[in-house]
Amino acid sequence: MRFAGFIKTTLLDWDGMVACTVYLPGCNFRCPFCHNKDLVLHPEDNQLIEESIILDFVEENSDFLDGVVISGGEPTLNPELHRFIKELRSRGMMIKLDTNGSRSDVLEDLLGAGLLDYVAMDVKASLDDRYSMATGVNVDLQALRDSIRLIIDSGVDHEFRTTVVPHIVREEDVDSITESVRGARRYSLQQFRPKVTLDENLSVLDPYPESKILEMARRAKPRVQKVQIKGL
Amino acid sequence: MKATDIKKSQSQVKGDESTDLTLFVRTSDEELKRWDKNRIYDALVRETDISEDAANIISKEVEKMVSKMEIDYITAPLIRELTNAKLVEYGLEGIRKQHTRLGVPLYDARQIIMSPNKENANVPHGPEATNLTLAENIKKEFAMLEVFTPDINDAHMSGRIHLHDLGMIDRPYCSGQSIEYVKKFGLNLPNALSIAKPARHPEVLIEQIIKFSAALQGHFAGAIGWDAFNTFLSPYLVGVDDSRMKQLAQILIYEFAQQAVARGGQSIFSDINLYWETPKHFVGVPAIGPGGEYTGKNYEDYEAESRRFLNALFDVYLTGDALGRPFFFPKPQVHITEKFFQTEGHEEFLNKISLVASEKGNTYFVFDRGETAKISECCRLSFKLDDQDLSEAKTPWKMRFSAMQNITMNLPRLAFMSDRNDDLLFNNITEHLELAVKAHMQKKEFLSELLRLGNRGPLALLTMDLDGEPYYRIEKSTFLIGMVGLNEMVQYHTGKQLHESKDAIKFGLKIISHMKKEVERLGKENKIKLPLEQTPAESTAYRFAKLDMKEFPLAASSVVKGNKSTGELYYTNSTYLNVSADISPIERVKIEGKFHPLIEAGALTHIWLGESKPSAESIANFVKKSFFNTENVQIAFSPEFTACLDCGKTERGLRSNCIKCQSPNVEGITRVTGFFSKISSWNKGKTGELKERMKDQPL
Repeated sequence: MRFAGFIKTTLLDWDGMVACTVYLPGCNFRCPFCHNKDLVLHPEDNQLIEESIILDFVEENSDFLDGVVISGGEPTLNPELHRFIKELRSRGMMIKLDTNGSRSDVLEDLLGAGLLDYVAMDVKASLDDRYSMATGVNVDLQALRDSIRLIIDSGVDHEFRTTVVPHIVREEDVDSITESVRGARRYSLQQFRPKVTLDENLSVLDPYPESKILEMARRAKPRVQKVQIKGL
Repeated sequence: MKATDIKKSQSQVKGDESTDLTLFVRTSDEELKRWDKNRIYDALVRETDISEDAANIISKEVEKMVSKMEIDYITAPLIRELTNAKLVEYGLEGIRKQHTRLGVPLYDARQIIMSPNKENANVPHGPEATNLTLAENIKKEFAMLEVFTPDINDAHMSGRIHLHDLGMIDRPYCSGQSIEYVKKFGLNLPNALSIAKPARHPEVLIEQIIKFSAALQGHFAGAIGWDAFNTFLSPYLVGVDDSRMKQLAQILIYEFAQQAVARGGQSIFSDINLYWETPKHFVGVPAIGPGGEYTGKNYEDYEAESRRFLNALFDVYLTGDALGRPFFFPKPQVHITEKFFQTEGHEEFLNKISLVASEKGNTYFVFDRGETAKISECCRLSFKLDDQDLSEAKTPWKMRFSAMQNITMNLPRLAFMSDRNDDLLFNNITEHLELAVKAHMQKKEFLSELLRLGNRGPLALLTMDLDGEPYYRIEKSTFLIGMVGLNEMVQYHTGKQLHESKDAIKFGLKIISHMKKEVERLGKENKIKLPLEQTPAESTAYRFAKLDMKEFPLAASSVVKGNKSTGELYYTNSTYLNVSADISPIERVKIEGKFHPLIEAGALTHIWLGESKPSAESIANFVKKSFFNTENVQIAFSPEFTACLDCGKTERGLRSNCIKCQSPNVEGITRVTGFFSKISSWNKGKTGELKERMKDQPL
């Protein structure tokens, strides 16, 4: 298994933990606001990092590292994910998985095997026609709903997150999004950063003002246990 | 000759009997005096060991020379230099040295007055600051001529070693003490116009401490540190409610932070050492309270007050100044011990100081493992307490520590001189350590001379004797040996930088172990405390790099860091890893930490945060692991800020324009070495380093 990115120490990607983050290349979505577009569009162009480099680092620094954040691209597309997670767990690592939720079967397998300690799933828009606009592809909404259910019912710590891109996510959409993740432990609103985007047209888009995001957070609050705002 | 100016006045020539040359000397007393060659004679006889006959001949010769000159004006420095030229002509080189005039060329004086000082980012630009610079220039020359022997001068001038704070040759380097001295004796300073009794109220005590700090700043070149500040303040805090507690914390921080009106317009480089729990060595020590009286309780009985004050302090640090910028001073050094982790409430407190580290960066996490007890100050300097110190802990006002001088070795230069030969390298290190120790002993001798002048001497404050011994105990002072550029030394000698191979680290450790062994031997031989310290090297890392590019251009350019085309050159500080190396904070803390136990007088690992703001819990977690899993003795997290001078917005990250109002009138703020300052005041070397710092992003 090979990786497109490896951050050896992060204090940012997993609250409270000292972790490292790995990025798997390739994705089945084409979100116009994606800021990892090279991972998505040209996975083969990336200088790929060997698995052994990651496992060696983890082993050598297991006294410091609590866990590993697996991100992408979309990690659940990789058939070796299950095996890789087991390699990490055997080295004492906890695992946080970032996913778009499109592969509920993979999530079911990993959660069922008790291989995950934290799941962060993106809910990119209202689970309706708007979703294909947010992801640039046709999405199996039922798979997303299944993933959400699996995650909430698993008992594993988790978070659902929405990047609030103007036009794609309207203020009132927060109601229906949080309705679909009702009861979740954490719901995060991520400020949109127009710096590097997959669809270059979005780079001229002004993000929502702070006040708007605070209002969204207020609307989200009744349906989830905790609302977080990131990137303000 | 006290003259400052001599005017040749043809109009006043009215037949002088001794000579037809009529000149007026404008003296420094702002008085015109008639030319008299005897003044040259007098100066020579007064200032030098010249014989009377020779002085007579020289003064006549000079007069002859001046009389032939077809000029309207002649200056006193020129007369003195003409005299010096004659002395050289007559082979009286020794006399010429004694007759040297110190001062600065007009051009330099203009530069100093008109443009900012870049040697020390803690010196603002103002009339007081330029006074300081001008005075330092003269004292520097004085030190070279009068305090140190020529071999030391040569080593310093050529940049093989660096003698720090030569411009402050007439005082020790830095001072660390407890506030107990002020609590017990009030403010009773020699030659003061009034004397204050021991304080009864915490506000007054804090004011006295600030004033005493300012007085000490005038007598030490560098940092003023206060030990276990909150522990010792606590007996004054009984019954103080929350809002007053917060106000006390604000008074303390703002008073220190805004003292940029003291010496040379310079902030007091102040450190406060803080403990969540009562440090072991102060448990069972009778507490001194209001009025300087014993309260009948011990310090550990005031832990509740001590902690409430500590919490209030960090609330103030978290808020920052009126614009939300971090406070530059006083630097909070929080000591973390094994006992800390067994003390109730430590998690919450660790999260709080970690939040401050993430938001503002202020917190220094000082690790005192095992039986270690220390007091920290300056950029990273610390004094390890020995058995005698620990017995003095029972009478904490006696705990006064000082380093008299700091001398730094240019390690890359020693590598260039040794041509990749191990034996030569180790010999060169030893030889230059011996030279440094010789310089230390020469400064010690000079300061002893000043201190012997006692109450009437320039260091009267340091000789004050309120507790049976002088405030400054010369025999207890420490002499520091620092180093710059271990990374470049190892790179030149082995071909690999420290982070590039395990063998390079091993070799680096071998170098520092050798230095440690040698300073221990030399310390014993000279009966002084001679520990290694990580020199902050704010300007030295630049100076060495610059000089080496001239002396060893080929060798130096193969290892020097920074940008050669802009001249923003530097060597990596002390035993640090290359700041631009792509290695994670975990590895940095671990690898740099391997050197720390060898460097007894203080070390520090920086984690550059850049824009990122990790959660307090993650930072606390990282700190805990650094304490338990590494040998690292101190870490600090350094964020970067941009403060807008127009709209007042303070934002994370370094930018050229304000994100709120787009104004270009912004100032960047981050740590230069061990302290925060404005980037605009940095020298070229540090500016070059900043551009290459690995920000560990997204961390």
